[in-house]
Amino acid sequence: MKKIVLPLALLVLVPSLAACTHVAPYERGKLANPTMSEAIGDGPAAEHVYAVHEGATGGGSVAASGCGCN
Amino acid sequence: MRRLVCVLAAIAFARGAAAQDDHNPAEQSVARKDQGEQLAAERTAQTSNLDDTSEKRASLEIATYADSDNVTVFTPSIAASITNVLQGASLRGRYIVDVVSAASADVVSTASPRWTEVRHAGSLEATYKPSTFGVTLAGSLSSEPDYFSFGVGSEMTLDLNEKNTTLEAGFGFGHDDIGRCGAENSPAATPNTCTSFGVFERTINRTSFNFGLTQVIGKATVGSLVLDLGLENGDQSKPYRYVPMFSADVAAQAPLGASYAWVTANRLPERPLEQTPLSKRRLALTARLAHRFDSSTLRLEERVYGDTWALFASTTDARWIFDAGKRVAFWPHARFHGQTAVSFWKRAYVSGYTPGDPTSWDLPVFRTGDRELGPLWTATGGGGIYFYLGSATDLQKARLSIQIDGMYTSFLDDLYLTSRSGLISSVSFEVEL
Repeated sequence: MKKIVLPLALLVLVPSLAACTHVAPYERGKLANPTMSEAIGDGPAAEHVYAVHEGATGGGSVAASGCGCN
Repeated sequence: MRRLVCVLAAIAFARGAAAQDDHNPAEQSVARKDQGEQLAAERTAQTSNLDDTSEKRASLEIATYADSDNVTVFTPSIAASITNVLQGASLRGRYIVDVVSAASADVVSTASPRWTEVRHAGSLEATYKPSTFGVTLAGSLSSEPDYFSFGVGSEMTLDLNEKNTTLEAGFGFGHDDIGRCGAENSPAATPNTCTSFGVFERTINRTSFNFGLTQVIGKATVGSLVLDLGLENGDQSKPYRYVPMFSADVAAQAPLGASYAWVTANRLPERPLEQTPLSKRRLALTARLAHRFDSSTLRLEERVYGDTWALFASTTDARWIFDAGKRVAFWPHARFHGQTAVSFWKRAYVSGYTPGDPTSWDLPVFRTGDRELGPLWTATGGGGIYFYLGSATDLQKARLSIQIDGMYTSFLDDLYLTSRSGLISSVSFEVEL
């Protein structure tokens, strides 16, 4: 598993950081658009459906409780 | 503004004091004291009002899920948050109810009555981030007649380079108590038919760590990378799920999606409960990218996942949100999930009498009928729309969102089912109080 994850992480991380430019606070009008945040997207019900139907998890909150899906 | 209030209060106090000078000195003294206290109280109240820069929001969501495997879920939820941007503090809470009704082949291999179960779940999250360093504490509870779980967690964030880079690290702990309700073969989860947790209980402890990096990539692009590590200890086997066993000859010929009739006619008499390994280590890497065009926003997410049960998965999610004026936006949504099977997955498990002992069965140590542990792929497609309902000067004060997604899952190596179609829909309303 380590053989897969590490190269993938580097593959995503390195080009991203290399492409970064410093953006000043007053230049962040587009970044502040509400559609850029996770607030618009799947609600708690859809997230729960995905969590139960996909044998994978991750990318969410660290304090989530169990799926209750016995 | 504070200075202005102070000056006005001082002037008012001076005028009040001057007006009292014509009366009895003792009364004047008491009157001045009373008036001073009253003015001070008013000033405090005014100042408090001025300092209340918090934003209070509340939301209600009604969601439904239905699929071709006879599962329906009705999920209302409410949420509220209070955020003070100036002080860097926020508090968020959510309460959710799942009403699940099912007669799914997931649970039993023989006919069983439709059952209904209600799950209550709540979560609370507090964040304090006065400057570049922030801490979040979170907790959650989930309860249903045969399942209780709680989770606590903490996350730290650190902004660097004028908030162009944000690092985060989190830790979480969860504990699940799994019980059993209803008669054998049926999780008919009515409280009076449930076995006490003191009589039947399985526990699962889950520990998780995450490490994340969010990076502003350009004036309109932001990306993030999150690594999740999960350690799970406990018996995750479903207490209602029985796994059919076959002789070696029959198992080799078990057709994909074999019917109940075929399984019943060909399986061995022994029908053990599911048994999965008692520990699991998970690893997930999630990358997100959001880019704002002139009048639309593209959001992409990719998650790769692997665990010690040898399940590997990839989940890709894309959402493109288009502005349609100032008040309306709509989006198409697509998601694809593909995964391999766990190492002990079999379409048809092989068993037989223990050599030399015709009274006992030689069962596979690990066996499962959980299709979500088998090889599958799921394609999800749909979209949504939201409307800002606030006034012209404060459009975002209220928002109505509607979202519908269809899901199609192909089970690549299963009994009973080869595919499943489902529909998730939700309507949510959010308002600033």
